[in-house]
Amino acid sequence: MMLTLAHISKTFGATRAIDDVSLDLDRGQVTGIVGENGAGKTTLMRIIAGEIAPDTGNVQLDGRAALVHQHFMLVSNFTVAENLALVDATDPSRLFRTHRTLERRAEAIIGRSGIDLRGVARRVDELSVGERSKLELIKAIASDPDILILDEPTSVLTPNESSELFRVIQRLAAAGTAVLFISHKLREVLEVAPRIVVMRAGRIVADTTSQGMSAEDLATAMVGEHQAIASIVGVQNDENRATAERRSPSAERRIHPLRCEHISGERLDDVTFDVPSGQVVAILGVAGNGQVELASMLRGLEAPRSGAVLLDGKPATRRQLLGSGAVGHIPEDRTRDGIVAQMSIAENIALTSRTPLRHARGFAQRLIELYSIRAQNASQPAGLLSGGNQQKVVLARELDRRPAVIVAAEPTRGLDIAATRFVHEQLRLAAAAGSGILLMTSDLDEAFALASVMYVIYRGHLSDPLTPRDAAMQVGPLMAGVA
Amino acid sequence: MRRLAVGIGAAALSLLLLALAGAAFGHSPRVLLEILVSGSIGSRFALEGTLLKSVPLLLTGLAVVIAFRAGVWNIGGEGQFIVGALAAYLTSRFGTTAALLAAAVAGALWASIASLLRVWRNAPEVLTTILLNFIAIHLLGYCVNGPLQEASGQYPQSDPVPQAAALPLLGGSSLHAGIVVALLVTLASWWLLYRTREGLRLRATGFNPSAAQYAGVDVNAQIARAMALSGAVAGLAGAIELLGVTHRLFERVAAGYGYAGIAVALLAQLHPIATIAAAAFFGALATGAGELQRSASISSSVATFGQAVVILVLILFGSMRAFAPGRDE
Repeated sequence: MMLTLAHISKTFGATRAIDDVSLDLDRGQVTGIVGENGAGKTTLMRIIAGEIAPDTGNVQLDGRAALVHQHFMLVSNFTVAENLALVDATDPSRLFRTHRTLERRAEAIIGRSGIDLRGVARRVDELSVGERSKLELIKAIASDPDILILDEPTSVLTPNESSELFRVIQRLAAAGTAVLFISHKLREVLEVAPRIVVMRAGRIVADTTSQGMSAEDLATAMVGEHQAIASIVGVQNDENRATAERRSPSAERRIHPLRCEHISGERLDDVTFDVPSGQVVAILGVAGNGQVELASMLRGLEAPRSGAVLLDGKPATRRQLLGSGAVGHIPEDRTRDGIVAQMSIAENIALTSRTPLRHARGFAQRLIELYSIRAQNASQPAGLLSGGNQQKVVLARELDRRPAVIVAAEPTRGLDIAATRFVHEQLRLAAAAGSGILLMTSDLDEAFALASVMYVIYRGHLSDPLTPRDAAMQVGPLMAGVA
Repeated sequence: MRRLAVGIGAAALSLLLLALAGAAFGHSPRVLLEILVSGSIGSRFALEGTLLKSVPLLLTGLAVVIAFRAGVWNIGGEGQFIVGALAAYLTSRFGTTAALLAAAVAGALWASIASLLRVWRNAPEVLTTILLNFIAIHLLGYCVNGPLQEASGQYPQSDPVPQAAALPLLGGSSLHAGIVVALLVTLASWWLLYRTREGLRLRATGFNPSAAQYAGVDVNAQIARAMALSGAVAGLAGAIELLGVTHRLFERVAAGYGYAGIAVALLAQLHPIATIAAAAFFGALATGAGELQRSASISSSVATFGQAVVILVLILFGSMRAFAPGRDE
């Protein structure tokens, strides 16, 4: 055995994240790890990688492990080449290289990894989220690990890039590397991993071969037999729908709560679109085509070089976009832009809500129940929640106050099936209640599930608006820039 | 609870290290500690001295707490203290209230210069506030050697403030009403930070400015307000020291209180209420150190040594990371 875990347990505060887990791993084996948000997958991986120590139990690792995080562990004011130089063990004099040499070596490392990433002279903070996650992956592969752990690697990749990644995984496995692969995309796990470990509430509840398993079987194992997914979502929806209908604002008045007219910037070129109230408008595209800049302009953090953002038909200043409360944001990078980890759930929610502060805790408690956020109570620091539950906190906070416009960037990235369906349902309800929703996503299924109008963004250009029926034929080529 | 233990531990450990350092120079650690204790809280006179020194420390400590909570390194307490004292002196003929208000406004404006430099030129506050300290120090030096020098022209100091403007003394002691003002400011700071949306947004800005922005907080404006407030409290400290204790301006009127406020705030782990205890501890240390100088001929600068040790011990406990400003990340 290359890795043996024996009776591992780990507790954070009052939460038992890992509860008596034992696991063996062989060389060259690809193992999928699935489970709902908060099931303990990431914690277990961090224990294997030696980042955190278990409270009890024993880890025996023959070799070294590399973990590719959901969150980025990059030096953001270094270039891609410099970040790779930090892990380039084959170059002993790497500190004394010219930029040109570093860049050539970086290109070689990237080439060996089999992953497509260009522009190694760019600083990491100029990269899109998708590009950063590729860089993380390249870094991990470059260190030539015995175990490679991938936490949600495909959530920011296009289908093509995903298959490219799977080929890389197969190649590494054939060369003897054990690969652990966490994903919420069950079909993907079934495709790539011969062995699948299912976690629930800190325990391993199933450890099987993928042969003969279906995505439905896995989903059932993840949530437990007594809780069919549909029923969880169903109950919640009825409650929320009632709330939504009660406070549906004067939807008719706001016909076009958000419009962008000919806005251009560093990576955006003459972008014009329109978000009518009561509808979901999707901007679909692979990460790194200008979405980050667009989101930042809509939040009022930077001004367009030319063109205007209009709220309710009137040109909006940056201050209005930022502070008026008319625009709710569900940011793409939830740990950096979504929550304040050190503050409690109640405080995070109170940041934008209009509820008086002395009622903040009770209010948050109500949202915790309404949005089925898995937390002990509203005073728990938001940083202790799992990624999916952090996302639900942001979602609850932004949707509950019913802003005229909601900008949702990759709102379900890294979420499990139940949470994804829940988020989608909430966005639909918000639209039904009169908000105009701008959905920026790289996930085709998500766009088709929600949007009535779609645009494709490619290198800062926006396509013509497409109906879902037209889009079905055209998005593929448009996203790849070949239409 | 853990933070409380860390704070008390750091204070105790620094006293111990202080005594051991004395031992290295041939003094008995036990005797040193005894002198420190008796010289700071051992008599009514000593206790009053401790409280008098705690008042400016409490206010400059609060000033640092407010700024650091918003994620901005305001190292300019000393300068803001000085311009506060200057403004209070110039307005003292209009009465105590006017002088206190003028000092707060002056401190706020002085601190806001750093905010403006940040917005215009992206100059880090940690540098600009320090540089503004030197400007304030030399401005004060010029004043007490020139336009504001006492009528007799004998010493580099001003005439005393009018008797009517001086802070009233409390019931036959040497304690002045500034102690009440300082405690009220403490409560107000706590209330602001933990019971208002402004405070919530201020703390969010300090912890994670990026997330604060996406939650609709105008981070630059938030920081500017926190800096102004921080400067106002430091300026108030200067006025209270002038109107309650020194009554005159002279070059060393700030006596390092602005810098000591950083140690106070860190020992209090940036909690406004804990700042009372931290200020009292450093006030006692400074008063006790005065007694050490008188009875054991040890320089009273051991109090500064104590401050430094506390900060180092806190770093040792690793509790600095939790609240280190992370805005430039």
